[in-house]
Amino acid sequence: MSYRIPMGPYHPALEEPYKLELVCDGETVQDAKLNIGFNFRGIEQLAETRNFIQIVALMERVCGICSNTHTLSICQAVEQIAEITPPPRALYIRVIMAELERLHSHVLWAGVAGKLIGFKTMFMTCFAVREQIMNVLQTISGNRVNYAMNRVGGVNRDIDDPAMILAMIGELEKDMVKTVIPVFTTSHSALSRCTGVGVLSEEKARSLGVVGPTARASGLPQDLRRAAPYAAYEEMDFNVPVEHSGDVKARLVVRALEILESCSILRQALSKLPAGEIFTGDESEMEIPEGRGFSRVEAPRGEVIYSVTWGEDTDTPSRVHVRTPTYINMPAVRWMVRGARLADTPLIQASIDPCYSCTDR
Amino acid sequence: MTTLETIPSELAVTTSWESKGGSQWLASDALEVRKMAEVMMAHQGRLLTITATQLPEDGGMTLDYHWDLDGTLLTFAFVVENNQVASIFDLCEAADWIEREIHEHYGIEVTGREYEPLLLRAGDKMGVNLHEEED
Repeated sequence: MSYRIPMGPYHPALEEPYKLELVCDGETVQDAKLNIGFNFRGIEQLAETRNFIQIVALMERVCGICSNTHTLSICQAVEQIAEITPPPRALYIRVIMAELERLHSHVLWAGVAGKLIGFKTMFMTCFAVREQIMNVLQTISGNRVNYAMNRVGGVNRDIDDPAMILAMIGELEKDMVKTVIPVFTTSHSALSRCTGVGVLSEEKARSLGVVGPTARASGLPQDLRRAAPYAAYEEMDFNVPVEHSGDVKARLVVRALEILESCSILRQALSKLPAGEIFTGDESEMEIPEGRGFSRVEAPRGEVIYSVTWGEDTDTPSRVHVRTPTYINMPAVRWMVRGARLADTPLIQASIDPCYSCTDR
Repeated sequence: MTTLETIPSELAVTTSWESKGGSQWLASDALEVRKMAEVMMAHQGRLLTITATQLPEDGGMTLDYHWDLDGTLLTFAFVVENNQVASIFDLCEAADWIEREIHEHYGIEVTGREYEPLLLRAGDKMGVNLHEEED
């Protein structure tokens, strides 16, 4: 006999509120229904009341983890409309901030995964390592969550001492290679909870249009930094890790390998940081012309897309549409949990690294 | 010819791509939503999202379908007629939540599929255009 179990909207396994209605037969999940909307803030509509300076601060609040991704996305979209090209140094700083954000997001996720696996020492270790990344972000931006680094035409703050940041990255990488990555790629305790669990086939991943590590763990080698480079990614040499098993382990391994790639990109960007200005144009004289602009950024969880329309002779956009990675990845959870053990569903839903604030906007 | 160049003829439209704002655009009265989805899925395109926009002065609604094709952003522009649009969900699963959200936020009926509201907003506001509601 089948029965229904609600998971959420408030549940110890969920970092943010949403609801999974699980249909179970004994301990086996037969199907699931997802309910979102617990974090809806009407940000798209609110954006239509903000000018090109205010809108950057607003969109930074779409997500608490990838706040930099959203400011980068909105700035790139507006720069498309206004045909502004930020100076090379600003583009490099954008890459540095984006990779630091990816690092802290992936390490945070590893900690949450550790907790859900029942490996709480790993949770503490990951959060200690993440603290080092937060220190780097704070050193550069003065902030720990909303960095306020991006502006239309460039960035707000320079990196005055790249050598110091490089040394911090070196320490960080050493700790991650010594602790976080071996545990998640070789530890029997971790792998036994993840192998063969929550499988999303390549065919299903393609059909659902999933993005980011979720797609790459199902054999889809898509990464916007490679396929449609923005900022200074075209000048960076890096690999796109791809796994083919489509299970929680694959998603874990992809993120672990991406941590190393991010460190490599950071070293390249910091050592090649070009001299020069960090923004172009004078904000007090800048006017955004009528037009449409699009921006796509490879956030830690996958592709973010911004579609922005600016009307004629107006200070505010007439339409801002945001599509976040969790919005497109979340429907895949229904397919991942089918046939899984009920006890594995918290880890399976967490394996896409969901963000519901982003999803609901 | 590249895939990009063949798509307009596969869709039986005479207009060609226009590069604008970081995307390649295709707009034509002859464009059909479902035909577009069939052609894009056949080329292994990836549906990114659909932007619904209300035109000023009651000019109606537009729907822009954004696809990725090997890293290139493609946009197909449609004017919504009779406040309804054909669903592409059966052709492209990625459209599921997007179509439901468009119904919920703009009141556009998505035909050819059964769906529930996505419930992003409170339950008494389904299928109501947010902008008109504000007025």
